[in-house]
Amino acid sequence: MRYLSWIYLVACFVFILLPVGVLVVFSFQDGRLPVPPFNGPTLKWYADITSDRDLMAALFNSLLVAAVSSLVALLLGFLAASGLARVVLPGSTLMRAILIAPMTVSYLIIALGLLNYFNNIGIRPSLLATGIGHVVINLPLCFAILYAAMGEHQRNALRAARDLGAKEWQVLALVSAPMLAPALGAAFFLAFTFSWDEFIIAFLLTRFDVTLPVEIWSMLRSGLSPATNAVGSLVFLVSVAVVVLLELTLFRKVGK
Amino acid sequence: MRIEAHEKKVGATLVAPALLWTLAFFLIPFAAMVWLSFSHMEGRDIVPGPDFGNYIKIFTDDSLFRGIVVSLEITLTVTVISVLLAWPLAWIIAMRVPKRWQRLALMLAVLPFWTSYVVRSYAWALVLGQKGVVMDFLTGIGLLAEPIQIMATRSATVIGFVHFFVMLLTLTIYANLVQLSPNYMRAAQDLGASAWQTIRLVVIPLTLPGVITGAFLTFVLCIGDYITPQILGGNNELTMPQLIMLQLGRRGDFPMASALSVVLMAIVTLAYAGCARWLRMDRV
Amino acid sequence: MYLKSTTALTVAALTLAATPSLAAEDLNALIWCDHADPKLLEPFEEAHGIRVNVKEYEGTAAGLALLEQSRPGDWDVMVIDGVDVGRLVERDLAEPLPVEEMHTGDYFPQIVLEDNNSVDGVTYGVTEKFGYNTIAYNKAKVDPADMESMAALWSGKYDGRIAIYDYYLPVIGIVGMAQGINTADLSAENLETLREPLMSLKAASRQVSDVVASQTSLATDEVDILVGGGEWLTAVLNADNPDLDWTIPEEGGLLWSQSLVVLKDSENKDMAVEFVKYVTSPEGQARLATSECYWGMPANSKTADVLSDDEKAVLRWDDQATYLERAQLYPVPDADLDSAMQDLWTDMIQN
Repeated sequence: MRYLSWIYLVACFVFILLPVGVLVVFSFQDGRLPVPPFNGPTLKWYADITSDRDLMAALFNSLLVAAVSSLVALLLGFLAASGLARVVLPGSTLMRAILIAPMTVSYLIIALGLLNYFNNIGIRPSLLATGIGHVVINLPLCFAILYAAMGEHQRNALRAARDLGAKEWQVLALVSAPMLAPALGAAFFLAFTFSWDEFIIAFLLTRFDVTLPVEIWSMLRSGLSPATNAVGSLVFLVSVAVVVLLELTLFRKVGK
Repeated sequence: MRIEAHEKKVGATLVAPALLWTLAFFLIPFAAMVWLSFSHMEGRDIVPGPDFGNYIKIFTDDSLFRGIVVSLEITLTVTVISVLLAWPLAWIIAMRVPKRWQRLALMLAVLPFWTSYVVRSYAWALVLGQKGVVMDFLTGIGLLAEPIQIMATRSATVIGFVHFFVMLLTLTIYANLVQLSPNYMRAAQDLGASAWQTIRLVVIPLTLPGVITGAFLTFVLCIGDYITPQILGGNNELTMPQLIMLQLGRRGDFPMASALSVVLMAIVTLAYAGCARWLRMDRV
Repeated sequence: MYLKSTTALTVAALTLAATPSLAAEDLNALIWCDHADPKLLEPFEEAHGIRVNVKEYEGTAAGLALLEQSRPGDWDVMVIDGVDVGRLVERDLAEPLPVEEMHTGDYFPQIVLEDNNSVDGVTYGVTEKFGYNTIAYNKAKVDPADMESMAALWSGKYDGRIAIYDYYLPVIGIVGMAQGINTADLSAENLETLREPLMSLKAASRQVSDVVASQTSLATDEVDILVGGGEWLTAVLNADNPDLDWTIPEEGGLLWSQSLVVLKDSENKDMAVEFVKYVTSPEGQARLATSECYWGMPANSKTADVLSDDEKAVLRWDDQATYLERAQLYPVPDADLDSAMQDLWTDMIQN
């Protein structure tokens, strides 16, 4: 049983890590085909992609959309959660259901709805349109995380602050937000990740300024090349570096 | 009483922006899409409905209806395999791996999350190809005389999906398992249950809500995904998202794309209704 | 979990917030992937101090839908299937071109395609690139003699080693030719007679794939034959796998041609015309012909002076006269036939 466990663990890890491993190895492939046999290492593809202006613009666009849309989703989600957690409003359950609803809808459907709607009201396909779509998918997430994090303990502290004469916005910004810092952080991080990696909404709602997943998709469609491996590896290595950095610095302090 | 009214006013003000956003950019577009699905194309023009032509076509046209079947078959296969693979993995990480290594094991188990989604599918295409490393290895050690075809079949699509969802489910099931009090298991063992009986009769039932929530997420994400079947499936059959994109990309037929989306949405809603009693969507 | 903090990411995002530089003027082009190559666009951008924004589209129907959803000034130039220029004119989307400035005097005469590019004597489009949809194959794995007749595809000898290029127009055209129907004669009636051969072709093939998936599977020996392929698909891979070849079988092949059109609603028509002039000049033609996404013959015969001998060999410059003679134009379906062809295509995939 014990041996079996370890064998299973290793087998799963091989399965999970295999594609990424192959991806990284063949990003150094000398030649046009990223498949065996391995022809020996070259950095050519990395040089190619870092000098590719469209790709770098897409990278920047992705960061921008992810950062801004996650902040908006976080803010809206935070306010809504604060509102619904403090009093029982008529229709509270319905409101919660409405706020959560987009979570159960495929991104493709959200994208299609917005594409048609934006056409009609005259918002052009753009990063703005994509950002709006990303807020739609991330708002339920932020709301759910923050709403779950607001407990009785918190409600009491807020009431105390108000009783001491703090204004509403002061309570929210100076008492509630700091108390919820871990949940806010988690929500933002998740929302950022989802937006950063989202394809179909960005694909249907952008025109010239595209995000990284869309740019990678058009690379894929326009020719077989280890450059695609190089982009994937680069994104992977940078993300892992960020996660490891967070792990080593912030979480160590949190002491978890 | 006055305080109560004031409280409600403030509460409503705080909820309003998020509700308005959801209304303006989710509910109204969605309603407009449903309305559009009752129109149809004549030549290049949209003829406003209401008519049921698109829906009738979806359920009578063999190719479109097959899209629903294909999507359901793939999604159910993926959901079942992913749960069956992820549960033992999460269990081993939570129960067998020493505490101090668990975080590392978990990080390794979700490492490929950190590359781009599009690239992940593409990487499987390289791995599973005729000249990919898997076939290289299997023929190299003599397990296979000839490389077999996996790439451009449904198996490739399923493998690509399972890879992603095993990671997702391992996370959710692990989170569930570590919350279990060890007392339950100790109690079961004290009562004479074998290790296997403990798992089967105590641990699995206790993780069921988490498993079902994860399985539902898998179902929703899988049935709505375009990338994975498009890259790995080799166009030997089309899923619903592929059919929707075909309506958009090749025909510019928004009404039909909308109608297919509404059907897709209805399937997800049915799935939700099916497992609603175990789901805690606002607690994900 | 490590979902707990964010500050580092926010800081990273904000420090990267250097604004992308915007050129003074923009030219917006609706294109096919070969025009996205910076090697083609950059010289023009530098010469005119302009930024060329490109957006790819797939299939004329989708391109038309895109145009119709846009507002005036959104688009300046469009690359379109040569046979579909008329559909733009019909919808009043195209601007007449000053044809005397367009180098067409230097064109291969068969490729000027007056019938496609002009309506009622007014020229709206100009051919920029052409090639063939026929049969591409791996000559190390396939007997080249077999490829001289399309019957080989249905013979059973190559079952499971065939890929079909995922574009309904040329492939249905080719299957039609194999059945003795000229592309110009395709109609709702005889389309149904193609159903059976199309289905059995699908049964004999391994996949229905886009450009890159087709290249991948040819290059990695997953398939040995690509129906609908041609020089545009194999030329890029020539350096890595010189065994990849193509031919026009005895039944014939399809001539594809792409045209450039200036759009009527463009607010930057002078620059748009400049762009068309650049692309049809020998320098622009050479860059387009050897573009990263796919290669193809340039329409302008003077490009011969700019291309290298190797490039010309890969493009089979010297064989063009015979090829042109044996190739037929793309089918030009009306909306109903187009819809029927797409339905048939979906049926083939789902079967």
